This record gives sequence, C-alpha cells and structure tokens, in this order.
Amino acid sequence: MPRTNKFSHPSEAVCARILDFYRIPWEYEPTSFPIDWDAKGTIISSFRPDFYLPAQEQYIELTTMSQKLVTKKNRKVRRLRELYPHINIKIFYQRDLKNLLVKYGLCSEEAM
Amino acid sequence: MLDETLFSEDDIGQALTRLSGQLTTDYAGCAPVLVTVLRGGFMFLADLMRAVRLPLSVDFLAVSAYGPHAGDLGTVQVLKDLQELIAGRDVIVVEDIIDTGLTLNYLLELLRAGRPNSLSVCTLLDRSVRRIAQIDIEYTGFAIPDVFVVGYGLDYQQRFRELPYIAKVKIESSS
Repeated sequence: MPRTNKFSHPSEAVCARILDFYRIPWEYEPTSFPIDWDAKGTIISSFRPDFYLPAQEQYIELTTMSQKLVTKKNRKVRRLRELYPHINIKIFYQRDLKNLLVKYGLCSEEAM
Repeated sequence: MLDETLFSEDDIGQALTRLSGQLTTDYAGCAPVLVTVLRGGFMFLADLMRAVRLPLSVDFLAVSAYGPHAGDLGTVQVLKDLQELIAGRDVIVVEDIIDTGLTLNYLLELLRAGRPNSLSVCTLLDRSVRRIAQIDIEYTGFAIPDVFVVGYGLDYQQRFRELPYIAKVKIESSS
C-alpha cells in the first residue's frame, strides 16, 4: 500500500490511519465512475469514491459537509447505485464520522 | 449524560433466551468454545453461557485499541491470546457490540488461522450503520441505530459497565 497519498481532507487521513491500524488494505480514490453523459455520449459527470477496500469489495465515501449540502453527493451515490448495482458503497456522513472519531478517541485531536 | 433506556433487563433476558435457544439447537452434540473480547463482552458471555444447554468452554482475547496515540502503536496487536487450542473446535465469538467490524475482522482472521472446525459470531448488539468491514453475523440480539450505548458491560470512558440494562448516552464532542 503506498503511503504517499495526498488526501483532500484531514478526515480522509484519519480514516486511512484507522484502516492501517486494523490492517485493512485500502486504495485512495482508485476508480472514477461515469454517471452522466450528454447526447453525444460524452461523459459530463463522474464520481470517484474516497476509498476502496479490496478485501471487503467496498467503496467508502466520506463527507464532512453539513447535512444541508450533501444532497448533491447523495444524488451521485444514488446514480452510481442505479448504474452499477454490483458496486458496494457506503457513505459516512459528518455525524457518522464524528461518532467514529469519538469512538476512537480522536474527536478532540482531529479537526473535522 | 445518561439518556433513555434502550433495552431493559427484561428485553436483554428475552434476547438471551432466544440466542441461547438457537445456539443450543444449532450446536447440539457439540462442545463449542465461546471466545469473547475483553472487556465489554464479559457480562453477555457470563449470562449467555449459563443459558446455553451445552457442554462448553470459554476463552478470552484482548487487543490493543485504536486511540489518539495509535500512530505510535503501529497496528492492532493481541494483548492477550487464547489459552486453549481451537484446532478442530467449534468456536463462537461472543461480542457485546459490533459496529465498524474492524476489530472483529482482524480477530476472525486470527482465529481462522487456528483452524477451527467452525467459526461463528454471536453479538448482543449490531450497529451496522457504522460497518466498514463486512462480517457475517450468525446470531444477533438487537439491531440498533447510530447511538452511543452503555451498560451491561458496555462503557463510556470506563463508566456505566455495571448497569444491568442498556441505555443511550449523550456524548458532548468537542469538535
């Protein structure tokens, strides 16, 4: 597993640390899924989940945005599930992440 | 901090009756070993093993927990290993709660390496909304939503384990 990833948010780095601790293999943003095309068939929208856990065959998408702003992301995930029903993806919302950080004693250490 | 009761003593008793009945039926003719992970699962294990009508044995595991200084620790480690060999045995992992599944995923890999005849999971609480590692759970007491719970062996900062019921707890996070 390469450890030179540049995470786009501190919460992703925390997630990677937790996965490393529990020896769960992960890949960071390995796949971009086209989810919308124009009339000519050109891809106009894609979705790249944050993590892929190959041993679990599961994608994880973290979102630290406020709940009001996740509608767009929810729509993308819903679209991905429609187009790729065999893909297993789980969203962790801001509250889920905070709960995880509290569980692992990280809430006061890591900024969300 | 302590909030409403989620599962009363009666609720827990009914779950114990149901789970122990299932185990007694499914493992009829066997002498399984119940393995629990310290420290949260001890109370559930104690009550479950008294309700199961089978000859059985118990064993315990303890692992290092992730925390603020986990970066220094590296990766999860076994702090206390099994005292019995499990090769050829029917092993039932007894958990108080499964949420991310990360610790249990690691432990199941470890236990599989011991070449048991069979390996299954029995948990009192299943908080699947937080699941990261996909795990097959054969026996579940209650499915719960994404709430913090304490009591019946479950703690928050080592408090509330002694409660005979399970209650929600309000956590004031600092971020």
